[in-house]
Amino acid sequence: MLEPLLFAMFSGVAIGCALGVVFHKNSVHCALLLVGVLLSLAGIFILLHAQFVAALQVIVYAGAIMVLFLFVVMLLNVKGEVPLLTPGAAKGFGFFFALLILVELLWTVLSPGGQEGAPSEAVGLPRDFGSPAALGRLLYTTWLYPFEITSILLLVAVVGAVVLAKRKFF
Amino acid sequence: MIGLQTVPLLWYQILAAVLFTIGVVGVLVRRSALIIFMSIELMLNAVNLSLIAFSRQHGDMDGHIIVFFVMAVAAAEVSVGLAILVAIFRNRETANVDDVHLLKG
Amino acid sequence: MDLAFFIEALVKILVVLGFVLLGVPLIVWMERKVLGHMQDRIGPQRVGPFGLLQTIADGIKLFFKEDLVPAQADKVVFAIAPAISVVTALAAASVIPFGDQFRIFGRDVPLHITDVNIAILFLLGATSMGVYGVVLGGWASNSKYPLLGGLRASAQMISYELAMGVALVPIILMTGSLSLAQIGRAQDHMWFIVPQFVAFTIYVICAVAETNRAPFDLAEAETELVAGFHTEFSSMRFALYYLSEYANMMVVSAVAITCFLGAWHGPVLPGPVWFLIKLSLFLFFYVWLRATFPRLRYDQLMAFGWKVLLPVALVNLAVTAVVLVLKG
Repeated sequence: MLEPLLFAMFSGVAIGCALGVVFHKNSVHCALLLVGVLLSLAGIFILLHAQFVAALQVIVYAGAIMVLFLFVVMLLNVKGEVPLLTPGAAKGFGFFFALLILVELLWTVLSPGGQEGAPSEAVGLPRDFGSPAALGRLLYTTWLYPFEITSILLLVAVVGAVVLAKRKFF
Repeated sequence: MIGLQTVPLLWYQILAAVLFTIGVVGVLVRRSALIIFMSIELMLNAVNLSLIAFSRQHGDMDGHIIVFFVMAVAAAEVSVGLAILVAIFRNRETANVDDVHLLKG
Repeated sequence: MDLAFFIEALVKILVVLGFVLLGVPLIVWMERKVLGHMQDRIGPQRVGPFGLLQTIADGIKLFFKEDLVPAQADKVVFAIAPAISVVTALAAASVIPFGDQFRIFGRDVPLHITDVNIAILFLLGATSMGVYGVVLGGWASNSKYPLLGGLRASAQMISYELAMGVALVPIILMTGSLSLAQIGRAQDHMWFIVPQFVAFTIYVICAVAETNRAPFDLAEAETELVAGFHTEFSSMRFALYYLSEYANMMVVSAVAITCFLGAWHGPVLPGPVWFLIKLSLFLFFYVWLRATFPRLRYDQLMAFGWKVLLPVALVNLAVTAVVLVLKG
């Protein structure tokens, strides 16, 4: 009976932190709250037997991407001049459309047809489900081509970031 | 064979939907480019969560692989996006997306 | 069964926690004593025999000092930043195996708190979380030098973490496992430092940089940045940073020993004793480095990490992979 308890805890923290990300004034606090979301999602991934992805989530997402975020937030040190929320009617529209999306998503999930195709009971898992070995085997066989393309994408991103960050172009 | 699931798939999906919506709210109502970026990360993570949950339900690891790719793309996106942000901030001293409208007629 | 498991886990947690927390004062004492002798002076000698209790006395002094928070500081982040540092350092210690398993009361007791099958990833995750303690401490002080120190430290730590991770991959290839206990067991006949000397060198350099120790202590370079990210910290908060720095040293040394220096293996003496001996030698090496090398310049540090260590680590990884495939 540990699983529902952990799920409740992690999801509560995730939703609370996510709300904080969107509504907190201070950008650094927002970044920290996002780290909270990422870590609690990593916990949920472990509940779902995805240990390797959970580790990646902590190392890559929380440990590298978010540090980069924090770095830029501190470097720019934007204070106060950006209004917290969109001024005027656009704000109302924003909330309205977000609500619409939520209703739509929940409708899809909860409607009788929403669960079609998925097994009603979770199937039993092989021993090595979610292990680095199993993931690596898939990645280097079935998914080899997308994997190689991803590496090119990352290379392009590195070059692009360096070019953008160079001062003399601007 | 390992562990049976006691939390139904539905809950994970609802959690993912709620997180995604919060991300959407962030993109729509906040004006700071940094926060918009963070909200996009939030949405990506909500999708990752539902992928992992489906993977668990089907006993098939393809979802994990897609999450792996999503992370790689997010890393690329963040590095280039933040570099653009820094460049904009250097020239125009602002992180407000409404202030960047030179191309608007 | 369940109760026995619970007791076993509790005992191991207490042993490791106690070992790390009591080890830190000893290491600090050793550092001051060794540095003293290397610089032709005596070092601490007044409190206790050979000055052994000096660190304890310092700790008690810090404990009773006034807890200062700068007026413009971000109070919440200022409070949690040192805690993040300590928690990540201690969490990393939980996957370190300090001996082979043995039988007691009919139970096989492995000598580590937990052996998750992704132990190395757990370690890397914990160290990458440790960056937050430093960078947030620097930011929350809302002061010039700490911010600079924090930014420096974060850039340095994420750069060297990369090379450190790549240096550990050949070991994973050779054992085919991410579990530290398995890696330790695989070095029964030959320590991995022999075939992987290059990776070992890279790992050690990165480990020193990762813990912000001399000659890579740019984050707290006193000639430029006062005390870097922890300039504004006093009393217990400062003590926590101090504690986490030394706990981190112990952890990275323990990983170096487990992955390259034959873990707990050694003749005659039992495993944990060997582990302790190797750990002390490694920590002595740390102090020796500090006494020997001058501090690098910041651009030299970054250039070295990205243009030398990372490429060499990648080439080493490729060569290892090719050799392993050719051997079958």
